[in-house]
Amino acid sequence: MKKIWLAGMIAIWATGAMAHSPLDETRPESGTVVGEMPSEILMNFKGDIRLTRVTITHAEKHSMDMDLGAQNTFMQEFALPMHDMGAGGYTVEWRGLGADGHVLSGSFSFSVE
Amino acid sequence: MIWPDGFALAVMATKFALYLGVLGAAGTVMAALMFRLERTRALAGGFAIVGAGAALFDFSLRGGNLAGEMSGMIDPEMLGLLWSTSVGTALLLRLCGLGLLITGLFMARAGPWVSVVGGVIAIFSFLQVGHISARDTTLLDLALTLHLLAIALWIGILVPLKRLTYAAQSYAMAADVGHRFGVVASVTVPALILVGGYMGYQLVGSFSALVGSGYGQALIIKAVLFAALLGLGALNKLRFVPALRIGDPAAATHLRNSIRVEGLIILGILGVSAILTSNLALPL
Repeated sequence: MKKIWLAGMIAIWATGAMAHSPLDETRPESGTVVGEMPSEILMNFKGDIRLTRVTITHAEKHSMDMDLGAQNTFMQEFALPMHDMGAGGYTVEWRGLGADGHVLSGSFSFSVE
Repeated sequence: MIWPDGFALAVMATKFALYLGVLGAAGTVMAALMFRLERTRALAGGFAIVGAGAALFDFSLRGGNLAGEMSGMIDPEMLGLLWSTSVGTALLLRLCGLGLLITGLFMARAGPWVSVVGGVIAIFSFLQVGHISARDTTLLDLALTLHLLAIALWIGILVPLKRLTYAAQSYAMAADVGHRFGVVASVTVPALILVGGYMGYQLVGSFSALVGSGYGQALIIKAVLFAALLGLGALNKLRFVPALRIGDPAAATHLRNSIRVEGLIILGILGVSAILTSNLALPL
């Protein structure tokens, strides 16, 4: 009986296991290939957010925390300086606090030729 | 199938304990006051301690989630940031409310009232965070408050009523409490259905979203469980309690078993609620 309960609960969880996606647009855009290494990553959110951590991973190997600067208010647009880690695929993972107290997170990827 | 990681499971388990603790504590003191129940101090205190512990751990887990690593759970910067939002307000209301509830348990005359006020404050915390609070409408807030108070009372009556079914000398009291709860439930249950339906409609919005989204499906499971609870409640009200009133000893056993199953169903409803509020996004 307990196992059935647990399996049922996990199934419900899995069918909708997705976070809120409040990211409006990014530059570079998600899924695109760009010719030149961008000097910064732009993120534009639908609502006010306070970013707490952004990591960037190059070629699924090298990962580093991006410099969030001295931001201490809730805002919608962020420009984070980018380090040149060479050509290849990049994945940016971000998380932060929405103004309503919700923890938000997400990721997007792009490639540099 | 995606398996939830340990962190997500911890978030859900904590929410489950939070709901059970806060609603159980508030419901027990409300039931004790309404039905003049005795020996409920340890039960209400136990629920309140579980609720307060879960409230603190839930806050800490949010810190971990915010930082993206375990160390965030005790990171003053992350926790300070959370404290400045409605999540901090909710924690404050929970701790103050449950503290007041426990204080009331040790006071004489006005004690039960103090405890009930504390319980209502703790329940009020659920209006601060979540999908309902994000909508910012007074009607939805009122609906959620009624919903939580009604289900809390149901949770609160179960253990004390079950206790009364064990000894023959308390059968009359059990029948009396069962009967009076039945009278109260004939008002609160339709209210639960109405406000539950209203909140569900406001949050989900359409039939296709109800059957097509994880959130909607979980809501359906919650409604099915509630229907089962309703069936048992009706059975108690119409069969077992009247039989117990005329002194049928077999009715005590039936009522006890029915209460046991009701308890399991309520745990299921709280479990689904914990999943609804921790992992499922509302349909867009």
